[in-house]
Amino acid sequence: MVPLSEYATVAVGSTLFDAVLALEKAQAEFDHTKYKHRGVLILDKDKRVVGKLGQLDVLRALEPKDESPAEINELSQFGFSSSFVHRLRKQQRLKAAPLKDLCSNASKLRVEDFMQAPSEGEFIEEDAYLDVAIMQLVTGRHISLLVTRKKELIGILRMTDTFAAVFHTMKDCEIDKAIIRNHHEKIGKTAGPDYSKN
Amino acid sequence: MKKLEKLLGRIIQRININLRELDYDVSPFIKDLVPLNQMDKFYAFYGITPNHPLDFVFRHSSLAGSYFLGKIRARNSILYKSDIRGDELKHQGDMFHYQKFEIPITRDEGIDIEDSFLIKTLVHNFSHDPETLEKFFIRDTVSTHYANIHGSPMDGCFLGPFATVDLTTMRDCVIGTFSYVQAGEVDHLNVDPGTVWVRSPDAFNFLYRYPLNKLNHYLNFIAGRQPQGFIMDFVENRKEAFQRVFDVVNIEQSIPVPDSASLDRYAVIKPKTVISENVLVAQRAYLQNAWLGKGANAQEQCYIINSRLEGFDITAHGAKIIEADLGKTVFVGFNSFLRGRPDSRLTIGQDSIIMPHTIIDIKQPLTIPPGHLAWGLITNSKELETNSIALKDLSKISDGLIKGNMSFEGSGAGFVTAFKERIHHILEANGAFFDGEKNRGHAQKNQNISFNTIQPYPDGELQGLYPAIVIQP
Repeated sequence: MVPLSEYATVAVGSTLFDAVLALEKAQAEFDHTKYKHRGVLILDKDKRVVGKLGQLDVLRALEPKDESPAEINELSQFGFSSSFVHRLRKQQRLKAAPLKDLCSNASKLRVEDFMQAPSEGEFIEEDAYLDVAIMQLVTGRHISLLVTRKKELIGILRMTDTFAAVFHTMKDCEIDKAIIRNHHEKIGKTAGPDYSKN
Repeated sequence: MKKLEKLLGRIIQRININLRELDYDVSPFIKDLVPLNQMDKFYAFYGITPNHPLDFVFRHSSLAGSYFLGKIRARNSILYKSDIRGDELKHQGDMFHYQKFEIPITRDEGIDIEDSFLIKTLVHNFSHDPETLEKFFIRDTVSTHYANIHGSPMDGCFLGPFATVDLTTMRDCVIGTFSYVQAGEVDHLNVDPGTVWVRSPDAFNFLYRYPLNKLNHYLNFIAGRQPQGFIMDFVENRKEAFQRVFDVVNIEQSIPVPDSASLDRYAVIKPKTVISENVLVAQRAYLQNAWLGKGANAQEQCYIINSRLEGFDITAHGAKIIEADLGKTVFVGFNSFLRGRPDSRLTIGQDSIIMPHTIIDIKQPLTIPPGHLAWGLITNSKELETNSIALKDLSKISDGLIKGNMSFEGSGAGFVTAFKERIHHILEANGAFFDGEKNRGHAQKNQNISFNTIQPYPDGELQGLYPAIVIQP
């Protein structure tokens, strides 16, 4: 878990640019792991989390608004193929303003217009088992969970950290198995009972 | 009148149940759309000919001002000034071709209307659904002014004004005002107003959507109000002309009609109209100073005014042609509204196809070159450029094309071939190729029709409803 104090946060009303700066600062200061932070928490005036802004949310803010995505989305219900719809999106995207202009415009937008409000399954108590955290990440397709102590937010459990923990456990298991195998080979025993002589 | 009110309530409830998944309530749209006290003011009528089955069964229904031909059942339904035209239904012994199947028709096909409310709607053609070849059903359905149900069995659908469902089996759908759907099989879809959709799965897909702010000028439909807009006004302003043809029992033909042509006695013919050989003019068509060349036709609810059609032109159900000159074999699709002006005429070149539900409304002369496909809203040459394509160019498209509000995917050649084949079939069915002996069609078969009228209860609880009626040879 990453303590809240080490995570990127901004207040409600901040711009996307403020959020990106906060993320950059948090990434620079955070050196516990090679995995960087990938999101920013949005806090209200009482320091309660009201939303999460991920990298995808920032990229979504760059999408041109005159693209009429609803109409393009509707094409599939009229039986148009996904490759045709994709081609249409690409065409519309190329017609839109250059990326530099889109970035410049998007940086002035408010975070609350693009953040995702945390859902019920995104909170987890600090003393919960890792198995439960994995279940919540997998079933809710979250990239992190908000860790609470008596309903107060104390940190973030990121998918990367959870994965690292699982990865280390898997490695440990394999190492243990290899040690046992080597031991058995040295003393000339097979791993299990041999019934062939019965 | 109480029974009729109850019947309407029952129909509304049934369609709302079907449309619950779309969260669509039809009652605010149709509750006062046609005052029920109108229902006993108009007689219903049916045609008798030696060329079509005579088989009508009407039960617990109101049929005010409606016309019937062929084999038709109506139960628990309100049919108001609708045309239920069963002259293209399949006959016992016919063979229906579908994909690799040859399906024998075991009995005469019938149009079967139940628990439905059809207002000024045309029902025509035959069921193209291989699962229901002998029964062209219309159940739990409401269709509003000038809608077309063409070869399309349907269950639980709501059709807005001037909507057309063509060769499509449809379940639990809402089809918006002035939308056209030809897609084989569709269910649980809410199609916005002004959508023109033609799809043949695995072959091609055409979709155009009107800009709603512009369509509203021509047609719009808001809950609690009658359909409105320029096209609605155009039609309503001419309805008085039909009064006389419906009031008079024996009406004299006002213009010469060749032996091979058919002019329905319920069509309105104004001066200087010329009808050539093999022409078909259906009931409720309106011709004024119209020149119809050999094999041309004007279907139900068509208006052809101050215009010349060179020959073998198709004016599909509900199409309107004003101040225009059409070359040979021009197809004008369902409910299209083509308006030139006396000093700014519209010219459409030979072999062109005007897509169903096209609006051309010009203030400067405009020419659609021969062999072109045109669609959507066109008010000037720039819009024509966006909303048209040469058929030979379309035939070269093999993947997709986007022009303005139109999206096309699939084989352009397949699309053009399908349309050309259909145009040929329509001309054939209408008798355009009759040579004096062979190729008889509607123009020849519909010449000698007798019409009988039937009347509803004039008063009391059953006012507006018709008694149970069985009419057979």
